[in-house]
Amino acid sequence: MSKELIKGNIAIAKAALKAGLKAYFGYPITPQTDIGEYLSYEMPKRNLAYVCAESEIGAINMALGAATSGEKVMVSSSSCAVSLMQEALSYACSDELPLVLVNVMRAGPGQGYIYPSQGDYNQAVTGGGNGDYQVVVLSPSTLPEACDLTQRAFYISQKYKIPTMLLVDGLLGQMAEPVEISESKYPEIDNSSWILDGAKGRASREIHSLEPSQYKLNQHIVSLFKKYKEIEQNECDWEEYMMDDAEILVTSFGTMARYAKSVVKDLRQNGIKIGLFRPKTLFPFPSKRLGELSLKVKHIIDIEMNMGQMLKDVRLSVLNNAVVSFIGKPVGDWLKREEMKSAINNIIKESYASI
Amino acid sequence: MQVFSIPKSIKENSRFTFCPGCDHGVAIRLVAETLDKLNLRENTIAVASSGCSVFLYNFLDVDCVESPHGRACAVATGIKRVNKAVGKDKFVFTYQGDGDFASIGLGESLHSALRGENITAICINNTNYGMTGGQMGPTSTMGQVTTTSPMGRNREYHGFPIKTAEHIALCDGTVFSARVALYDYKNIINAKNVIEKAFMAQSKNKGFSFVEILSSCPTNWKLTPKQAHDKIENELIKTYPLGIFKDTTNE
Repeated sequence: MSKELIKGNIAIAKAALKAGLKAYFGYPITPQTDIGEYLSYEMPKRNLAYVCAESEIGAINMALGAATSGEKVMVSSSSCAVSLMQEALSYACSDELPLVLVNVMRAGPGQGYIYPSQGDYNQAVTGGGNGDYQVVVLSPSTLPEACDLTQRAFYISQKYKIPTMLLVDGLLGQMAEPVEISESKYPEIDNSSWILDGAKGRASREIHSLEPSQYKLNQHIVSLFKKYKEIEQNECDWEEYMMDDAEILVTSFGTMARYAKSVVKDLRQNGIKIGLFRPKTLFPFPSKRLGELSLKVKHIIDIEMNMGQMLKDVRLSVLNNAVVSFIGKPVGDWLKREEMKSAINNIIKESYASI
Repeated sequence: MQVFSIPKSIKENSRFTFCPGCDHGVAIRLVAETLDKLNLRENTIAVASSGCSVFLYNFLDVDCVESPHGRACAVATGIKRVNKAVGKDKFVFTYQGDGDFASIGLGESLHSALRGENITAICINNTNYGMTGGQMGPTSTMGQVTTTSPMGRNREYHGFPIKTAEHIALCDGTVFSARVALYDYKNIINAKNVIEKAFMAQSKNKGFSFVEILSSCPTNWKLTPKQAHDKIENELIKTYPLGIFKDTTNE
């Protein structure tokens, strides 16, 4: 295998094919349209399922239906259109159906624009639909990682029978980087015990979220949350960078974290004891590890391309009195490296001045 | 000799829980009898929807998934397509109400017909939102009194009813579209034959097949079962004529 220089969206589509994608449903919206364009050629070539849906509502519901087969099913979309998919995601969570949703974020609210943004953290991790539920949310920072997490998304989704979202900011979807698309390293899951394939030689199966019995509905939701606990125990993933002796901890996710990492590296060269904590799973959020790390540091600086959405999860994870500050900008046009450095320096100065 | 029994495609010991005089039970039974006759039960995946039709899986003994309100044809599309991709030719049909198919789900329904999805949709048209207590829907007829059209449906406030089977027949991807009723023995037998034709169209991989079933809703119409059936025979079929509007199965 050799590396190729390709765009993020295409890399994600290729990684999904390598993972054994059997059905894709989509509707155009910038900045993710090239996923559907690429697959509109590759899927029919392999006699796989591909539908240019009439809407995002159509696309996600086609995926909901296709997921009953236990095959690997994917939809992709972006921000305001992912809003349209929230109803079906709520159903898929209650129905316990595995599907992968790639959300290449653009800026909001409303139509916003096609600039990169991380403004949909809240919608992704708290669930934008109705009822008590969660979807798993994976957040890559580089293209090789986006490919790996795409394949991991299929694995987690099938293993736990849960919709899994790959949350990508528009920057990662649109930029090119050398990447090697390999076969999935994750094991195949046996779905035969629950799929719908015609009740031949067995009792018929029903998949539904409607539950008129109060008792059973309670039981069902409690069992879903036991599953989420299990996912938290088994699948939490994060990166730590220069954390061994850090006194200041930077938290950041996605491509913003990649940028923050280089700033941390620069500041280390200036003698500042600073490190980075980057969650790769946004739900489940690696709270336990961040809590342990918070006990070793004096200050935590959260950097996001939004107005501070992961900030709440960071604050909830902190176990001591470490000061938590925020640096962010909601849309596109990144904080320049020097701006980020001086913002961090100012926070450090203020923090020490107040002690 | 046993001349009448419960269809194999109906769950053992199940009892219909619909209101007295409601035609849902008859419609589900006809679907079950047709699945039996065409030997489809063990290869079928049914899609239920929201409203009274959601209870399909309580009675029908086939693999079944419930769809969000209005999205049954999209869900069925996904099922049919992915199974085809892995070499499985499954029989897939939806069972929906008129609010589900022709109001909130009109987009998904019409586009499935336009794409010529090789699925069958059964739409129970009782001219109101039954489960929520009889509100006006797009199929409510002119002058029909409902809880949200207390003075009767009129042009000024509510506009006109949708003739679903005729619209579906206009789609190039549709192979079969018909409207039937269940108000007497003769119509019930005819409805069963029409459902069989729609199912056969799918079995022959011909495209989208559709059956609209005019059904009684005595509870919300505030009529006795007999009066409700009389209303279908004497009034409803004037707005919603019975018949086959398209059948290109053998072309």
